[in-house]
Amino acid sequence: MAALIPSASATGSGTMTLAGPSTNSNQTITIPDATGTMMVSGNMPAFRAYRNGAQTISAATTTKVAFNAETFDTNNNFDSTTNYRFTPTVAGYYQVNSTVGFTTSSGQLSIYKNGSNYQTGIEVTYNASLGGHIPISDIVYCNGSTDYIEIYVYLLLGTTISSGETNTSFSASMVRGA
Amino acid sequence: MTLYEKIKTIYPSLEDKDFVTVIRLQNDSDGKGDFIAKWEHPTLARPTKEQLA
Repeated sequence: MAALIPSASATGSGTMTLAGPSTNSNQTITIPDATGTMMVSGNMPAFRAYRNGAQTISAATTTKVAFNAETFDTNNNFDSTTNYRFTPTVAGYYQVNSTVGFTTSSGQLSIYKNGSNYQTGIEVTYNASLGGHIPISDIVYCNGSTDYIEIYVYLLLGTTISSGETNTSFSASMVRGA
Repeated sequence: MTLYEKIKTIYPSLEDKDFVTVIRLQNDSDGKGDFIAKWEHPTLARPTKEQLA
């Protein structure tokens, strides 16, 4: 027999409600046999940003991609005006994805954590018929306060990276709590 | 002329792989431009400010 026991250290005065289903079907919630914070949509940050306008990149120069527009940013954790970085305010593990479109040359992307290279992806060579898009993804732990994530691009020749949501984007979402 | 082009002018013998392995040029998109983040070339000295001016 399970019992719902409020924590003695709880400080808030709000009411916790378990609402019944809106149908006549029975529904079951099974709480895992583990201790931790239950994650719900309200405390799992997610964002998607993109490049609005071309960005010029010098040859052979590892350059931070200035993602200056947002598709969504559920917790206001992405800075699209000054540092172009994701600083989640909830500790946990984040699935990080990025794609950068470019117009000539060959290159690769890197995920940077706290100003240092965390992961470098595959090298992609531009194709005159297909164009060029460099992908990268990984899972990164962030402490929920000071850790931040950025995307850097390296292109062999000087060129521009492409503008628009479908060409050059950066997204991340929490996949589990700390 | 970019920093990369200036360095290539000073040291024409540098190859593309050198800029991945022993030299890293970087730009943090903060308005300060390109800079040398790493110079670990075994024989060529890091260019001076005067050379890059």
